[in-house]
Amino acid sequence: MGNIDQDFENILPAEEKPKKKTPSRKIVFLGGLLLLFFLILILIAIFLNLRQRRSFFGTLPTPTPTPTPILVEEITNPSFYATDSGILKIEEELKKIEGELDSTDLKQASLSPPLLDWEVKF
Amino acid sequence: MIKKLALIILLNFLLPFSVLAQDFNFNRALSDYLYNFDLYRQAYQEYVSAKESFLQYKTLTSKTNAFQKTLKMTQARDETTRTYLIALKMKLGETEGISSAEKNVFNLKLDNEVNWYFTHKEELSSAGSLEDLVELANKAEERYQQQTEILIYQTLHKILVGKENNLAEKINTQIAVLKEKLKEIKERGDKNVSLAERWLLETENRLLRFEEKILASQEKMERMEKGSWEDKGQIYKESQLNLQEAHQYLKEANRYLKEIIREVKTADGKY
Repeated sequence: MGNIDQDFENILPAEEKPKKKTPSRKIVFLGGLLLLFFLILILIAIFLNLRQRRSFFGTLPTPTPTPTPILVEEITNPSFYATDSGILKIEEELKKIEGELDSTDLKQASLSPPLLDWEVKF
Repeated sequence: MIKKLALIILLNFLLPFSVLAQDFNFNRALSDYLYNFDLYRQAYQEYVSAKESFLQYKTLTSKTNAFQKTLKMTQARDETTRTYLIALKMKLGETEGISSAEKNVFNLKLDNEVNWYFTHKEELSSAGSLEDLVELANKAEERYQQQTEILIYQTLHKILVGKENNLAEKINTQIAVLKEKLKEIKERGDKNVSLAERWLLETENRLLRFEEKILASQEKMERMEKGSWEDKGQIYKESQLNLQEAHQYLKEANRYLKEIIREVKTADGKY
């Protein structure tokens, strides 16, 4: 068993580690401000770039409605009856009926029964 | 001389009334109804608020107010129903495709209802208390559910069927004319009409389908009178669907006829 003799009084004090230097609040604030400034600058640059492009290409193309032609098949080889008054009369009548068929109101919304409260209670 | 003068004065007095009677048509009747419906809506709001106030405070003043507002609302309700029925009657009268016998039957029924609501409105004024008024007002509910509502839907249905029958009749007339024309062409022998004749058969077939749909719609409407527990509005909607299908058949028939005309107008070599 060895002796445990230690001279505590002569032990040299441990060296203190140097404290890490934390940036002061002022520096952090200034840095943040600078970063924000750069960010704003970048956004302005993007915005201006986009505007320039638009003015270069003109306004963006928008689809314009084009009327679809109504297909009316023409009779290329008419018969003897193509100009027959009787046939033309029937054709005219059929067109009239077609108009009536298209305009017939089968819902009669204006004639729907009125919504009335029939229950009177106190 | 005096007689002549009296006649002239009488005629001058009556003339504006006869002009008014002539001017009364469906559009006028519809505006009358819409005006009265608007009055009802206003009266109803007042009634709801007066009722709430009476149920909350139960004071004599609030009861008197509730009585007045209920009277106003129920009378407006009767007037709305009455003017609506008149509008329906006018529409029925102006619709083609309904026989005069059928129109007369409906007119009688509608007039009967119109008179009932007119009398009921007068009766309401005779109510002495709020309780009497409620009892009288509920008579209208019973009448509406048991008779008026059914008649309303039957009339609406009749108007639609009339419109459809009128169109079908016009198509049938053109079929008859076209048949005659095809017969004439066939006799001359200068144009082959076999394709046109086949299309004509198809057209007539569409009209048969049309009639089937009209019949189905009418059968559905018959349910309304038999089963009082069923939703009348729903039955009407279902029969309306049948009429829409019937309408499609009419459109097809008309399109086929146009095709036939086109075929007749084209020389044989084309097809």
